[in-house]
Amino acid sequence: MRCTHQAYKQSASVPDTWQQLPAAPAQSQSEITLNPSKPETVDTGIQGLDFVLQGGLPRGRPSLIRGGPGTGKTVISLTYLCHGITQGEPGVLVTFDEDPDALLHHARGFGFPADTYLKEGSLRILDMRPDQSETAGEGIELTAVLTRIEYALKQTGAHRLVLDAIDGMEGAFPGQSGLRKELNRVFDWVRDQRVTTLITTGEVENFSTRFGLEDYIADCVIALKQEVQHRVMTRLLRVVKRRGGPHGAGEFPFLLDSQGIFMVPVSGAALDARVSSERISSGVPGLDQMLGGKGPYKGSTILLSGQAGTGKTSLASAFAQAACRRGEKVLYISFEESIDELVRNQSSIGGDLAHHAGPEGGHRLIMEPVRAIEMGLEEHLMRIMRSVSRHQPDLVVLDPISSFTNRHEGDCAKEMLLRLMYLIKEQGITTVATELLSDSSGGVSHLDVSSMIDVWIKLRRHEGNGELNRLITVIKARGLAISNQVKEFRMTDSGMTIEDPYVGESGIVYGTARHARQAEDEQVIAQLHRELEQARRLREETEEINAARERLARAEREARAVDLDRQVMELERRLASIEGARSAIRRSRQ
Amino acid sequence: MTQYLLRLYIAGMTPAARRAIKNLEALTADMAGQEMDMQVEVVDILERPQLAEDERILATPVVVRRLPPPVRRVVGDLSERERVLVGLDILER
Repeated sequence: MRCTHQAYKQSASVPDTWQQLPAAPAQSQSEITLNPSKPETVDTGIQGLDFVLQGGLPRGRPSLIRGGPGTGKTVISLTYLCHGITQGEPGVLVTFDEDPDALLHHARGFGFPADTYLKEGSLRILDMRPDQSETAGEGIELTAVLTRIEYALKQTGAHRLVLDAIDGMEGAFPGQSGLRKELNRVFDWVRDQRVTTLITTGEVENFSTRFGLEDYIADCVIALKQEVQHRVMTRLLRVVKRRGGPHGAGEFPFLLDSQGIFMVPVSGAALDARVSSERISSGVPGLDQMLGGKGPYKGSTILLSGQAGTGKTSLASAFAQAACRRGEKVLYISFEESIDELVRNQSSIGGDLAHHAGPEGGHRLIMEPVRAIEMGLEEHLMRIMRSVSRHQPDLVVLDPISSFTNRHEGDCAKEMLLRLMYLIKEQGITTVATELLSDSSGGVSHLDVSSMIDVWIKLRRHEGNGELNRLITVIKARGLAISNQVKEFRMTDSGMTIEDPYVGESGIVYGTARHARQAEDEQVIAQLHRELEQARRLREETEEINAARERLARAEREARAVDLDRQVMELERRLASIEGARSAIRRSRQ
Repeated sequence: MTQYLLRLYIAGMTPAARRAIKNLEALTADMAGQEMDMQVEVVDILERPQLAEDERILATPVVVRRLPPPVRRVVGDLSERERVLVGLDILER
C-alpha cells in the first residue's frame, strides 16, 4: 500500500481557507455608503423588469427569483447574464439543475451567441448538477461549491453571477444532517461577495424561506407564477422585496417564448406622449382635405370604424403606404387577414404593399399576422409592444382591434386596448386602428375607447338602387378644423378618392344613383328652360298684341272723332243753309 | 491482483478531511492483505480549483475511483466502511 501525497501538495495550514478568500475591494463598499439613498443598480436587459425594479438588480448584492417550474426563472437569469456580456461584463452561470448544453441552446434561441461567449471566456458555466454519489459517513462540506465559483469569478473577472435552481442541492445528499448548515454557509458566502448575484429557486417546500434566502440573504426578491384564466395562461412577475430602493408594486404580466422575455411596465404607462404639430398625409387627398386640409397630426391615434366592406383595411393601407412613401417605417399588425391576402386584396385597388415590404421599398413596411384566437389579452399586448420596440416604427396599424372585444368578455379587452394605445402613443408613434362594427350595431361603436382616440373616422355603407356606396365622415379630430360633411368614398383600381355627394332636388344621393339623378334633374331643367322661353315669348307677344290693339283702337277712335267732326260740320252747314233759305223766304214775303 | 487508483478530494484540512484520510488509509491497509494494490492520491481543491472543476466536485471529502473504470465516487468522511466498499464497488474476499 502506498499513499501518495507527492502529486498534490496538501495545505494543512488552512483549516477554513474559504473565509480567507479575498473580500470586496474597499472602494465598492465606500461607494455604497456614500450613496445610501440611491443604490446602484445593474440592468437585467429586460426592459420592463428594469423599469419595475427602477433601474435593475442591486449592484454587488444577491437577488432571488423564485417560481414554480416553467415560470421563466432560468430565462430571466440567462438574459441577465448574456445581456451583461454584451455590455462587456463577464458572467458566471452555476447550474444545479439543467444541462449546460441545454442552457447554451436556450441562450442561442434568444439570440445570444453563448458558444462564442464561452470560447472568448466572457461566459463560464459551472455544472453543479448533483450526481447520485454514494454517501458514506457524515461531515460533508460544500466548500468545493464556493471554491469553484470563486475560481471562475476570478478567472473571468465576472461581475454577474447566476445560481440557477440551487434548491436542487437540498435533496442531493440524502441523510446528511450537516447539509443545511453547509447550504447556509454557501449563501452567507455569496452574500459577502461583491458580485451582483441572481439566485433562482423553485417554490417547492418554501426552500427560499427555510434557508433565510428571502429574509436575510437576498436584497431583492422576485416571485414568478403562472395564472390560467379563460383557459389562457398568463405569466406574472411580482417584486416581493427590494431592499433600499423603490419598486413597482403589483403583478406584472410578462411574455416568455422562443424570443426570450418581454415585459410591459403596465402600471408605469403614463400619458406624457410627445406632442407633435407635424401633420401627416392619410394617403387620400380628399381625406386630408376633410381633416383640416393637411391630414392628421403625427403621433395621433386614429380609429377607422365601419361595418364589413366599408373599406377600413383599404384606408388603413393607404395610411401605411403614404407613410412608406414619406420614408417612414410602418408596422402593420393584421389580426384577421393573412399577409398574402392583405397584399393581394390591396393590389386590386392599386395598393402595392409588397413593394414597401420588399427590398426595393427599403423594407419600410413590416407586416405581422397575429391571430386573436391564439392567446390571452396580456400576451397580445406584450407581443405587439415587443414588435413595436423591436422595429421602432413611425406608424402602427392595428387591423382590426375589434377582434379582441369579440373574443373577450367585459372590460378586459377595452382596458387592454386603451393601455396598448397609450403605450404606443407614449413613444410618439401614430396609430391607425380599425374597428369592425357589426351590421346589427346600427353603426354604433361598442369599443368605447373614443376617449383615447384623436381622430375618429366613420365609414358606412349606403345601399340603394341595387348598389353599394361608401360614405365617410369625420366624427372627431382633436385640434383640427374638420369637415362636417358626409362624403362619398370610392375605391377604384387606381386608389381611393373622396368625392362630394350630389346634392339635388330631393336630398343627397350617392354612386350611380347620383348620375341617374343628375341626368334626370338636367332633363327637368332643360324642360323648364324651354317652358320659360315659351312663356317669355308669349308674354312678349301679348305685349305686342296689346300695343297693336291700342294703336288700332286709337286709330279707330281718331277716325270716329274725324267722322263725328265731319258730321257736326255737315249738320252745321245744313242747318246754316236751311236758316239761310228761311230768311230769304221771310224777306221775300215781307 | 486488482489495481485500484483512488483520489480523495478535500477542501482544506478540515476535521472531516482528516477523518476521511484516516479512514481511507485504514481501508487501504486492510485491502493490502487481500492482494489488492491501492494507490491513493489526496487533492486539496483549495490548491487546485481547476481539478475540482474538471471532476465536477460539489461536496467534500469525496473519494473517486479512477481505476479500474467505470469511475465511481463516495462522499463523506468514509466512516462507514461497508458503504465505502459498496460505493466504490470494491469486492472483499
